[in-house]
Amino acid sequence: MAEEHAIDPIHQFHIDRIVPLHLFGIDASFTNASLFMVIIVLGISFLMIAGTSSRSLVPGRLQSAAEMVYEFVASTVRLSSGNEGMRFFPFVFSIFMFVLFANVIGLIPYTFTVTAQIVVTFGLAALVISTVIIYGLAKHGVHFLGLFVPSGVSVFLLPFLVLIEVISFISRPISLSVRLFANMLAGHITLKVMGAFVAGLLGAGAYAVIAPLPFAMTIVLTAFELLVACLQAYVFAILTCVYLNDAIHPGH
Amino acid sequence: MAERKDESEDEALRARLDKLSSALDAHGLKPDGPKAEQESGSIGTAMSLGFRVLTEFAAAVVVGALIGWQLDVWLHTSPLLLIIFLAFGTAAGFWNVYRIAVEPTGSKGRPG
Repeated sequence: MAEEHAIDPIHQFHIDRIVPLHLFGIDASFTNASLFMVIIVLGISFLMIAGTSSRSLVPGRLQSAAEMVYEFVASTVRLSSGNEGMRFFPFVFSIFMFVLFANVIGLIPYTFTVTAQIVVTFGLAALVISTVIIYGLAKHGVHFLGLFVPSGVSVFLLPFLVLIEVISFISRPISLSVRLFANMLAGHITLKVMGAFVAGLLGAGAYAVIAPLPFAMTIVLTAFELLVACLQAYVFAILTCVYLNDAIHPGH
Repeated sequence: MAERKDESEDEALRARLDKLSSALDAHGLKPDGPKAEQESGSIGTAMSLGFRVLTEFAAAVVVGALIGWQLDVWLHTSPLLLIIFLAFGTAAGFWNVYRIAVEPTGSKGRPG
């Protein structure tokens, strides 16, 4: 925030310490990212608790929103990992709601987008993959490793295919986190740059005539970003289900 | 006279209803199925699918390269393992993309 003239599209992702806190040499400060995570969790809790408190037969607005989200995630889990996958429903639901709220709240001006931080998205992806590995190993033991051994392959090809499967498995958390992070980062930078064009053109004398063009683009992009925000939350949730399905039924 | 008219109207209505539902079936649309949601955001869905293919492919290549690079550092075989694992990573990337192509949205139900 040194100069107002220089428009810096990256500045919105800067993390500021609100309450500095150093524990055992680790910087555990309460930052604006932490603040927005708290806001997200409070928002989700409010939606679900207030939405389900009345339990009327004919749902009101809040209740139908809560019920729709529940039904949507439940059907997604059931479709992609079967009825057995429903034991992971709370996990998938929490992840879906967190990502959805983070993406949508981030679209409001002057807010901070938590999911545009690779640490956050990679943390979520690592949580998903470690759940898959731990649950798979605990439930199926060594049989879980059959996930890496394709069936019906000659002995000579097998080592190479296992290697490829292992690399493919390791790439999962990376692609999962990078996809969400890159979508959010790119979308917000694009919005900022388009907005900066409007401001710049308005201040450039006669060129102010064409300022409505980037302004219209900003509106279109905002709508598009809203779509991307919801879609990426959905994609994250559905891929979580697909990966969990591997842990529930290995050896496909 | 009036009754016959009613009957013919009923029949006409039924015919129209049948035609409509067969048209809906032909499009694979159901009023409140998941398909209807997909149709509404088709550009967004297609873009997210494309981005998914891109990241899955790139991530596998990067992971392969990183494994090869690290093994090179440990085993002092400088460029050899990097090249080999880059090839494996690329293969894994194609394998990822193939898996997406086989199961277009990743949401296809699998029987338990």
